[in-house]
Amino acid sequence: MKVSKQEKALTRKRILRAAGDVISEKGYKTASMREIARRAEVGDATIYNYFPTKESLLYGYCEEKQRAVAEALKQIEDFHEYSLREQLQQLTETELALWLPDRAFLTQVFGLTFSAPVAGAVNLAGTRRLFTRMVEDMIDAAIEAGEIPEQPYRELLAPLYWDYFTGILAFWLHDDSEGFANTTQLVDRSVEIIAMVLQTAMIGKALDLLSFLFRSQISRHLEKLGEYTGPWKKAKRRFMEGGDV
Amino acid sequence: MSDSIPTGKLARSGIAGGALLKAGGRQLGHAAKRPFLSEPARREQQLQLDDDTARILFQAFSRLRGTALKIAQMLSMESNLVPEWFRREMSKSYHQVPPLGRPLIRKLILQEFGKPPEALFARFEAEAFAAASLGQVHAASGQGGEALAVKLQYPGIGVTIDNDLQLLRTLIRPTRYAKLLLSSIDEIELRLHEEVDYHREADNTEWFRNQLQLPGVEIPAVHRDYSSKRVLSTERLPGLHLEAWLDTRPAQQARDRFGQQLYDIFVHSFYGLHALHADPNPGNYLFADDGNLGLVDFGCVRRYSADFVELIPRLLRAYKERDAVKVISTYQRLGMVAEMEEDELQRFYDEVLQPFGDWLTKPFRAGRFNFANQGFSYTAEGWASFRQLAKVRKINSLANEFIYFDRTFFGLYQLFERMGACIDMEHQWLV
Ligand SMILES: Nc1ncnc2c1ncn2[C@@H]1O[C@H](COP(=O)(O)OP(=O)(O)OP(=O)(O)O)[C@@H](O)[C@H]1O
Repeated sequence: MKVSKQEKALTRKRILRAAGDVISEKGYKTASMREIARRAEVGDATIYNYFPTKESLLYGYCEEKQRAVAEALKQIEDFHEYSLREQLQQLTETELALWLPDRAFLTQVFGLTFSAPVAGAVNLAGTRRLFTRMVEDMIDAAIEAGEIPEQPYRELLAPLYWDYFTGILAFWLHDDSEGFANTTQLVDRSVEIIAMVLQTAMIGKALDLLSFLFRSQISRHLEKLGEYTGPWKKAKRRFMEGGDV
Repeated sequence: MSDSIPTGKLARSGIAGGALLKAGGRQLGHAAKRPFLSEPARREQQLQLDDDTARILFQAFSRLRGTALKIAQMLSMESNLVPEWFRREMSKSYHQVPPLGRPLIRKLILQEFGKPPEALFARFEAEAFAAASLGQVHAASGQGGEALAVKLQYPGIGVTIDNDLQLLRTLIRPTRYAKLLLSSIDEIELRLHEEVDYHREADNTEWFRNQLQLPGVEIPAVHRDYSSKRVLSTERLPGLHLEAWLDTRPAQQARDRFGQQLYDIFVHSFYGLHALHADPNPGNYLFADDGNLGLVDFGCVRRYSADFVELIPRLLRAYKERDAVKVISTYQRLGMVAEMEEDELQRFYDEVLQPFGDWLTKPFRAGRFNFANQGFSYTAEGWASFRQLAKVRKINSLANEFIYFDRTFFGLYQLFERMGACIDMEHQWLV
């Protein structure tokens, strides 16, 4: 029997969805490939054609999430009119919104990934690549439009943002404030600092970074640290114009 | 965060606590027992925050979003107990509060209405046109094309309030006045938590819109379809804030008319409705081209008891007639207790109350009073009396309602001066 590409994609999605549910409910250790297959209504053998291991299911799910996030951002009609700060914040907020139904699942991912950092990093590489591609696109567009200056270590920025983002996720997973208000505020404040760092192309001076963060935080309201919210030189291009994540 | 704030310094000065306590306690209707103080010299000192303390506090507050500023305002607005520059900086930074960006606006609207701004409204301006204390105000159009002013609250402000108050408590704990201050913080907390529920404000707005029907006074209609606990959409009113309006160099006639409207609103609200709509903060009035006065912000409506409403004109009459016995007895009925001997009380009346009363009733005695600055400032003149009053330590309790009423009155007079308006002060309740 021939299976079309489209059908394959759908099956893949269905398996991932089932994996998400089963792992959230039972925990990663107890969840079995057999049960996931049953929940996804695919054969016991079929599932292995898509995902050879339980691990690949776990991380495949994370990758799928990144695609969903990119899609959601594309749906925002005026997203390309957002400032870089707003785009980064929207990215982070959208991640959180889409992960919300899967918080239990994410806790499992964190447990597995950070209990074995090296293996974890390898497994998350795909997710990370999808995420950083979105960030790179935003930064590139901002530089092209003249919103922020050329950055000395441009290739370093997206990975740094990923590290920051995993920190935010960890914070969020432990946040018990109403409506995760503490996370919202942490994101709001920290993204502002990040935008300012990018604005001043500060990241190059890596050693100065910490003290800069500290000082800028303190003096923010007392001294003007240069205009960083003004309109930029030309219109920004649309998000991920060049293709999909 | 509290680590970087030099609490030691604050604690050493001790003055911050005292000065703020008085302001805070009064503002919040907290009937605080005042401590007795011996040397008059020390009292004088305690009436002003020293610059250092004020600066430290200012830095602490300005690093936080809306709530802390709001708290600081509540504590300082009341009086001249804080240095002038402090108040100036405070009101400036109040408008420098980092604006809510599109992601948070989107998040908030999605949370409250289940759809993004572009789906909820026919049109929504991403840039706010006015700052609010706990959020910001955007222009928008409803699906029927109606012009809206949409007030958005910072997401998670409830948590911020808790965090900020926690910080404030930490700051206060080592000061001399910790016990009293902490109890006014409790009051502030209650009030703030009330203010973050825009349903209340919507109810208040509608209530006033129904009750306060004065020609030329506009109170915006509430649009419930676009309102929630954290979003308040009202009919967008035209008009400028006081300062911007004054910049257009309005004619004397317009100044007088608007001033009169403000006065009539006050009289009518107080005597007719037993309620005052808000602080006489210039931001709460909109001066429109067509001569209409817009009234916004019903976030903290004060209500007054029938007793109080009845006693106030009695007090004013007593002052007008310079009737010492009636003045004192009215104060007593208002709930003020002074622990003084007869002759001391007489001296208090002669030296403090009567000059205050003369000042207070001056506009009423004139019938029509010109607040335009003619080489002297009526309100500045009054400060001296107010300060005399504030220094009296032997008044053991203050009527809660009184303090706020006084402040509103005074604030209104300051507005009239700013406007250079001539006001008809005569009303039947005074006769
Ligand atoms: N209906 C309206 N039409 C026009 N402008 C409005 C309207 N409502 C509010 N504004 C503008 O927004 C500003 C702030 O609104 P508002 O006074 O209600 O907020 P706030 O007092 O800071 O809030 P809070 O209720 O927390 O005290 C006003 O000074 C005014 O300029």
